[in-house]
Amino acid sequence: MLDSLKRYISGFTSLTDEEFALMASELVIRSFDKKELLIKAGEVENYLNFLVKGLVRKYFYKGRTEIITQIAKEGEFVNSSASFLSGSPSPYLVETLEPSTFLSITRDQLEKLYEKNPRIERLGRIVITHLFLQREEWEHECLRLDTRERFLRFVENNPDLMQRVPQKYLASYLNMKPETFSRLKHLLQRPRTAAR
Amino acid sequence: MGKQKSSYKTALDGLYHYLSGYLSISRLEFQHLLPYIEIREYDKKAKVTKEGEVERYFNIIARGLVRKYLPLKEGEQTIQLAVEGHIIHSELSFFYRTPSTSVVETIEPTVFLSISYESLEQLYRQHPKFERLGRLIITDLFVRKDHRFFDQLRKNTRERFLDYIKTHSHMLQRVPQKYIASYLNIKPETFSRLKHLMRPKKS
Repeated sequence: MLDSLKRYISGFTSLTDEEFALMASELVIRSFDKKELLIKAGEVENYLNFLVKGLVRKYFYKGRTEIITQIAKEGEFVNSSASFLSGSPSPYLVETLEPSTFLSITRDQLEKLYEKNPRIERLGRIVITHLFLQREEWEHECLRLDTRERFLRFVENNPDLMQRVPQKYLASYLNMKPETFSRLKHLLQRPRTAAR
Repeated sequence: MGKQKSSYKTALDGLYHYLSGYLSISRLEFQHLLPYIEIREYDKKAKVTKEGEVERYFNIIARGLVRKYLPLKEGEQTIQLAVEGHIIHSELSFFYRTPSTSVVETIEPTVFLSISYESLEQLYRQHPKFERLGRLIITDLFVRKDHRFFDQLRKNTRERFLDYIKTHSHMLQRVPQKYIASYLNIKPETFSRLKHLMRPKKS
């Protein structure tokens, strides 16, 4: 279970076995059934969750409409991040789509780790920078790409999610109407000619 | 020259107070930072970072007004407007060391306090306290970005306009209207109309 976390971390920085063990000792394993809420709107996020197995969505309500801002799969972090980092109430809900298992750490435990080991603090800085840049990149993409281009890019990068996630959720995440999503999906199924 | 020196001192004092807002640092610790800081001055309408070049600097504005935009087929899409005390640079390019897809350009003559990528890495390695400061600053930037992202999704054009002019009235005086409209993702005509609606209330 720790291997996938180790792999994720090694993409950013190297920790010694002792440092990784120190971090692992503070983690808790949390398991949820499908369609369970990890956090409701209005609560303060207390956990940072690394998704070991399962599928999760993060969303908020605009009136009665759910707006999905993240769909997380194995090997990714998911929580109400701004609430976790700032301590302010979460406008988001985080909910499992499939039965899910997480390696989680509370804010207090994470702060303690930062105090104990500067290299873990460095890892924290790098991971947060990465989350920040992902958000920036998403913003650029929304401005630079049209609906069709965003759809194609998403499909290319996440072929597995097309199978696992209900279509209405994908449409919401990509900020398009479900009808538009269906129409674009239909375009994909055309047989590819040799000329392409 | 004397006047310039004192304005640099003011800028550095401003930096000290800015950083102290995140973490208490002594004047001595602040001295460790100074050799890494570069003071960079630009005229108005100068391109600080061009499309296609790798961003070298992390900038805090000591004085001036700067915008960041994406050059698109349909025109320039403004994505940030920054004044004194704000951080502005091409962050994807800076951190990933890839060619910038955005442009950083001054609107007014501007003085930056800047730190290069190499200097920042060196600073982190030599002084772990700044590693913590770096974490706290990027955390704050992330939280602000998330807030703006959430606002964009949740609010309609009119709400975005009203909230912006309520919280950024100082910007309305300094920033050309077309840039604010672009930043708020509102057509310039719509922006004018909304602005016009605002006036009768004031009297």
